[in-house]
Amino acid sequence: MTWAGLLLWFFALAALAGGVLMLVARHPMRVALALISSMISLAGIYAILGVHVIAVFQVLIYVGAVMVFMVYVIMLLDLRDSSFLQRYGRAVVPSVAIAALLAAALGAAAGSGRTMTAAEFAMLQPGSTPASFGVQPFSVAFLERYWLHFEVTSVLLLAAVVAAIAVVRTGRRRDG
Amino acid sequence: MNLLTLVVLLPLAGFVLNGLLGNRLGRGFVSVIGCGLPILAFVAAVRAFMQLDGAAGAALVESAYTWAVVGDFTFDVAFYLDRLSGLMTLIVTGVGSLIHVYSTGYMKDDPGYARYFSYLNLFLFFMLLLVLGRSLLVCFVGWEGVGLASYLLIGFWFEDPAKAAAGKKAFITNRVGDTGFLLGMFLIYHALGTLDFDAVNEAFQGPVPPAVSASLVGVLLFIGATGKSAQIPLHVWLPDAMAGPTPVSALIHAATMVTAGVYLVARLNGLYLQAPEASQLIAVVGVATAFFAATIALVQTDIKKVLAYSTISQLGFMFLALGVGAYGVAVFHVYTHAFFKACLFLGAGSVIHALGGEQDVRRMGGLWRRIPFTFWTFAIATAAIAGLPPLAGFFSKDEILWYAFASERGGSPLLWAVASFTALLTAFYMFRLLILAFLTPSRMAHEVEHHVHESPPSMTAVLVVLAALSAVGGFFHVNVFLEPIMPLPETDHALEHLELPLIVLAVATGLAGLAAAVYLYRGGLERADGLARRYSGAHRLLSGKYYVDELYEAVLGRPLHWVSERVFLDIGDRRLIDGSLHGLAALAQRGAGRLSRIETGSLQFYVWLVVLGAFASLAWVWGHG
Amino acid sequence: MDSTRLLLALAVTLVSLGFVGVMVRRNALVLLMCMELMLNGVILSLVTFAARSATLDGAVLVFLVFVVAAAEIAIAIPIVLLLARQRRTLDVGAWSELKG
Repeated sequence: MTWAGLLLWFFALAALAGGVLMLVARHPMRVALALISSMISLAGIYAILGVHVIAVFQVLIYVGAVMVFMVYVIMLLDLRDSSFLQRYGRAVVPSVAIAALLAAALGAAAGSGRTMTAAEFAMLQPGSTPASFGVQPFSVAFLERYWLHFEVTSVLLLAAVVAAIAVVRTGRRRDG
Repeated sequence: MNLLTLVVLLPLAGFVLNGLLGNRLGRGFVSVIGCGLPILAFVAAVRAFMQLDGAAGAALVESAYTWAVVGDFTFDVAFYLDRLSGLMTLIVTGVGSLIHVYSTGYMKDDPGYARYFSYLNLFLFFMLLLVLGRSLLVCFVGWEGVGLASYLLIGFWFEDPAKAAAGKKAFITNRVGDTGFLLGMFLIYHALGTLDFDAVNEAFQGPVPPAVSASLVGVLLFIGATGKSAQIPLHVWLPDAMAGPTPVSALIHAATMVTAGVYLVARLNGLYLQAPEASQLIAVVGVATAFFAATIALVQTDIKKVLAYSTISQLGFMFLALGVGAYGVAVFHVYTHAFFKACLFLGAGSVIHALGGEQDVRRMGGLWRRIPFTFWTFAIATAAIAGLPPLAGFFSKDEILWYAFASERGGSPLLWAVASFTALLTAFYMFRLLILAFLTPSRMAHEVEHHVHESPPSMTAVLVVLAALSAVGGFFHVNVFLEPIMPLPETDHALEHLELPLIVLAVATGLAGLAAAVYLYRGGLERADGLARRYSGAHRLLSGKYYVDELYEAVLGRPLHWVSERVFLDIGDRRLIDGSLHGLAALAQRGAGRLSRIETGSLQFYVWLVVLGAFASLAWVWGHG
Repeated sequence: MDSTRLLLALAVTLVSLGFVGVMVRRNALVLLMCMELMLNGVILSLVTFAARSATLDGAVLVFLVFVVAAAEIAIAIPIVLLLARQRRTLDVGAWSELKG
């Protein structure tokens, strides 16, 4: 097994461990940290796959923005409530059961793909040149061919900002 | 326009006009229309009758209207005039018109004047349908219609619940008989494919006997006749029907409607000639009813009830004649009975009118000087019904007794003996009535006695006409008149020498009844009351009308009521129908209650359900993909 | 197993774990984080296939998904904040007015 393969396995197991930890930890802070580690492992996986630009964006956006926000909120809301004492809600076993069934179904669906041809296999080798998934080709493709999607997502972000302000202001008014 | 259709429709027009406009246009209008149209109908009937005689005995047939065409079968409304229906039409319109005129006087002060005349005209319309109808179907429409008119008129003063109940009883009892009529009609139609009287008679007289037993049909139709003509066991409605106005009792329950049964059997004489068992039954029921009703009339104290039981008894005589094959003689008795019974009833009405509403003979007496017209007409009619010659009743009753004795088609000395004894009783109770009401010293209450007055001319004139007809009507021998269509039965030649002695015996019976009545009731009620006390058991049985009503109530009325209430109402309606509806509703409610448990309000439970759904669809796609 | 199979298995597992977390955990913020885990699992599968393709379209799509995820979290957290402020608890079981 090559180093890349080994690393892939390592990051995969790390991501899995993070996920399991998320379910088990009591304090939300620990859950957040587990999620962050999971996400970073996934970034590593993306990098091994050769999609460096996505790996970077994963860390920048997901961990750097989303999870930081989440951590801030956890630290802000210092609420000692029942959810701290009792981690789990009703019916743990049925939930696990149904999730297992879902996993089986999804796995069967995912695993029912056909075997690859030699040409496709050649493309799969990890370590496709970073240049093919580099920032420059990415940006060119993004802004040249997908400029409409870019504009639409900016509108979406604007809507999100406005909505956030509106939600917070309503809340504040009700408080005052 | 066709004469027969005109005869039938004129009273119908009277019903519509008086019914819709009578209350608005006043008494005068109602009287003119209400009496005028039946009189016009009578004139038209006379004209039609004369046309008939001119047509050398053939019948007049008029088809008025095609009622229904069902596949290959056509049901027509057609009218048929031959000697029999012509005679009946004349009686119905003639006596009917007289009674209409009488009613203008009797019902003068009644607030329901217009309604009364419209119902009376309606009755006339249906009765004419009955006698003029060519097919059993039209006859049945008239049959039911006169039942309806009878119900409306008996319960005329419907605010009194007893009177309304009497109307209901009449209708329901008639209905019971009508099932027999309907079944007979169905059998005839099934076997012959036609309901026309002439066709039915021909089919039964013809060489090939039809595929249905004549006796069976005869018995079924006779059951209908017992209902309409108040024979045992469906006679119970007629005495109660005296709750209606007296002219109604005269018209419907004496002269016309109750004779419909007799008419039916006589009309179908072709069938009954081939049905010896049915004829036997008719004769026996007739004579039994005659005897039975006469015994009850002996002790009745209401003047109208005596006449009601007398009617039942006389109808029994008519059926006796029908049963021994003497159809023309029965119709003869219908004809004479119409005159003297209508005269008796209207006379009773006059007495009631004079006494301001008193109907109990125990509180009458001494009226012969105060209301002479009423007295003399009543007396003539009483003599007629008792069979004293040369009045009308003598001729017709005598013929019945003779044929009951000697007819080859079922006559027997036993029938004759019972009938003769009944004739004796008839004479007795009728003269009892006459004596108690008019001739004994007065037992009236003082205020009543003060106000006794003779009735107005509209009433007394009619009484005089009817009394005259009772006196001389018997000279027109209807049985001979009807011979071409209803041949008289053969009489046993060996017995023919007894004909004259029997006539003498009959007259003697009538006189004996008169004598007994005079002996017992001269001077008032004391002797009769003494007799009643000595034979109190028999007196009670007769006064209680043999407790037939109570028997029916116990055997039929109460069980039916119990079944209606317990089975159909409680179990059927409340538990089954309501219960199943309530049950369905409760089921829906409980089901909804159980199903609503799925809404737990827990977000995570809903997510669980979503995952379940996702898994299910994945599995399905995977399984079928 | 080859890497594609491995990564797909990992993606399926992450999604299932996320689902279990959503169904089971009572803290609202933890619930949100489990949903993020699910989303990450899906993105992993998307990236796995995008890395195999010759064009950059897959990568662009992944980037757009990131943008949407960020926008979503920007709204979801204030909403959770307000809800928590109303009931003074982060417990998801506190909101059960649709019961019955």
